[in-house]
Amino acid sequence: MVDTRSASGGDAAEARTLRAASRPSGEGAPYIWTTSLAVVLVLVMLVGIVVLILVNGLRTFWPSPLVEVLLRDGTRYLGEVHAQEAKPQAQRTGRAGAPAEYRTKLKIGNRDLGAADFVWIDNASIKAQRPPSDALVFERLEYGNFYGRLKEVRAGERPVAGGGEEGIATLRRFHRTAAGKRQKLDDLRREQLNIRQPLTNLEREISALRGSRFAVSEEGAAELRRLEPQLGPLQNQLNEKVRPLVVEQERLRRDLEGLRVVMETANGKIASIALADIVRVTQPNTMGMHHKVLHYLGKLIEFIWQQPRESNTEGGVFPAIFGTVLLVFLMTIAVVPFGVVAAVYMHEYARQGRLLRIVRVAVNNLAGVPSIVIGMFGLAFFVYGVGGTIDQLYYSRYLPTPTFGTGGILWASLTLALLTLPVVIVASQEGLAAVPQAYREASLALGTTKWQTIHRVVLPNATPGILTGIILAISRASGEVAPLMITGVVKLAPSLAIDGSWPFLHLDRKFMHLGFHIYDVAMQSPNVEAAMPMVYSTTALLLLLVLALNSVATIVRGKLRQRYAGSKL
Amino acid sequence: MAGSTLEKLTTGMQEAASETSSRSPQAHRPEHLAAIHCENLSVFYGAQQALFNISMDIPRHRVTSFIGPSGCGKSTLLRSFNRMNDVIENVRLEGKVLIEGENIYEPGTHLPTLRKNVGMVFQKSNPFPMSVRDNILFGPRRQGVKNRALLEQIIEDSLRRADLWNEVKDRLHTSALDLSGGQQQRLCIARALANSPRILLMDEPASALDPISTAKIEETIYELKDEYTVVIVTHNLQQAARCSDITAFLYLGKLIEMNETAKVFRNPSNKQTEDYVSGRFG
Repeated sequence: MVDTRSASGGDAAEARTLRAASRPSGEGAPYIWTTSLAVVLVLVMLVGIVVLILVNGLRTFWPSPLVEVLLRDGTRYLGEVHAQEAKPQAQRTGRAGAPAEYRTKLKIGNRDLGAADFVWIDNASIKAQRPPSDALVFERLEYGNFYGRLKEVRAGERPVAGGGEEGIATLRRFHRTAAGKRQKLDDLRREQLNIRQPLTNLEREISALRGSRFAVSEEGAAELRRLEPQLGPLQNQLNEKVRPLVVEQERLRRDLEGLRVVMETANGKIASIALADIVRVTQPNTMGMHHKVLHYLGKLIEFIWQQPRESNTEGGVFPAIFGTVLLVFLMTIAVVPFGVVAAVYMHEYARQGRLLRIVRVAVNNLAGVPSIVIGMFGLAFFVYGVGGTIDQLYYSRYLPTPTFGTGGILWASLTLALLTLPVVIVASQEGLAAVPQAYREASLALGTTKWQTIHRVVLPNATPGILTGIILAISRASGEVAPLMITGVVKLAPSLAIDGSWPFLHLDRKFMHLGFHIYDVAMQSPNVEAAMPMVYSTTALLLLLVLALNSVATIVRGKLRQRYAGSKL
Repeated sequence: MAGSTLEKLTTGMQEAASETSSRSPQAHRPEHLAAIHCENLSVFYGAQQALFNISMDIPRHRVTSFIGPSGCGKSTLLRSFNRMNDVIENVRLEGKVLIEGENIYEPGTHLPTLRKNVGMVFQKSNPFPMSVRDNILFGPRRQGVKNRALLEQIIEDSLRRADLWNEVKDRLHTSALDLSGGQQQRLCIARALANSPRILLMDEPASALDPISTAKIEETIYELKDEYTVVIVTHNLQQAARCSDITAFLYLGKLIEMNETAKVFRNPSNKQTEDYVSGRFG
């Protein structure tokens, strides 16, 4: 057999011929076929799942055309076609062997008017269908989409425009005004909250103390007696401060209440909708390519940068992205030093004997422990053990309300660190083993201490291997959900773990996570069908995020490899 | 000339780093002492004995070469002069090795100081994957030399002595791995010299090189003996004959004969030596 290593460069073709010649014709062919078939199968499945997720995830934001359907019984529907399929055998009316009958799934929205979001229509019962150019879609803050035709726009109590193109233009103009006022209202509300922050803090302190064991003690009661009288004056003082804001808000709210649009549904029902409740107005059947692209980008940006709405099935996933990245980041900070130090001891210092072999086997096996078990351990050790102790020592006045003794981003990331520790240790050991012994000897022979050798020669040259470990750890950690569910992930976190209030990084806070978000939206949301596109989009985003995190690490490793080109890692 | 400058410049460094030299400063070193003196030295790898009761004196400012067939213990003997055998697990050593009068196997010997004073060049060139400059300065920096001018001086002096200065002076910042094989080996010599050792151990330094690079290395070795005590292990009998003053012949872990090189090659006193140098075995 020809050595394949010698086949590099110009000799490659020759080597291939030689190899072919050295194999009796036909021998081994079935093995080559079966093995390559396995690879093809793997690739097909892999590409299939990625394409499915990306296609479904990325098309969510593309505006779909509206159709108006008139059925034989006179019912009208207006909505988006979501699916076409052959009817199940059991529901068919014709004889066996008759041509397949089809049905259509239509998203008709208007949940507040009593209808379900989706209807199935037998294609046979359709009398006529057309794409109406004057149909509008409203994305709303509540109750999902609204589909219908414009009747009139009202400002105050008087109508300012009727239907038709002109009416739609007026609607858009008033919608922009309403959106601006809404933004102003939100800003005022935030400002008011900021001004009232000291009061909120005091109230929280008092209510935490009231429920605590500490309050029963002499000292606690005294503390409460000291705090409670402060409440009234502070309240008065702050109320005085926020009064103008409250008045302004009231005025805005009245204005917004007056800005309404009256709509007619496909069935002739009339609905009056406040413009402030509408997020986006679209007229999909008249949109040109240019507008569709703008719409797409707008929704994409909303998806990435905004808060979720409607129990996570609409709006954005920013808190979940933030939580995922921060979690992986904290996990990396925790696991890398620990894993590398352990690997350095095991590879460079420890006596290579039976005990070490047992330790290595144990570390390898730790990598196979199911993540839920690690999660349980994290709950028992970090949350109840370490967190509980911290509460006893430093936050005992609030007990039994826990501060650190409950799930939070710190405990979740430490649990993940524990989960990925074996991966980092094993990869780091391999990285250390790949550093040529000649480097160690050269360094020692130059009169360095063992630590200087490790620090200056061994570790820098082992960095690519160590980074491989980090890449694997990040991949594993960013995909884990099970251990997080018992160590601090939540459906909706009231605030991010990093914000403007001291100490800026709040490691005790609960957090949102893309993986859990997928599970939650897909399995726990009140309207699973309507939430489906969101699940695909979030999944696609998670895939891309993992890819991005990995790419960064891989690029760094590539750079380092170039630097230590001779070390053949 | 370059040597004396280096000597002057590095006195500070030696004071800072070396305990041995402060206990026996260069000026008071008794001239009659051998650079390396070993007495009944036996080395075991686990249960297997590699060296048997070796006793020898290696004189200072001479090139001493160890010859002998593969596996005869030349490298083991060489590596016991700077305790590089300690790196290997399960090595046991009996007897004494005195470097300039001090037993280096005494407990409490400071290994970094010993290895700074007894430099080593390996069979396969092993420059670090760093720039030429960083390779040279690796030793001095670890010993705490910070003075920039001094560091620059060390680079030039050690590269000149290793006959490499003219070839690399314009690319001190390129990776050492971009140099040719022969240049890499001379860089390793320069790197060892940058520590200003008193003894230089070379383990088959030219065995992996082409004849021209080998000739350059041999030339370098011959020039080095003015300032250093050089011990070289070689497979190549011509090399031993060409560049060493004293030759020791080892066979199966025993020292068979040690004498002036000319005598060992022309008129060996031992039958085995004669057979080996005349090419009858080995």
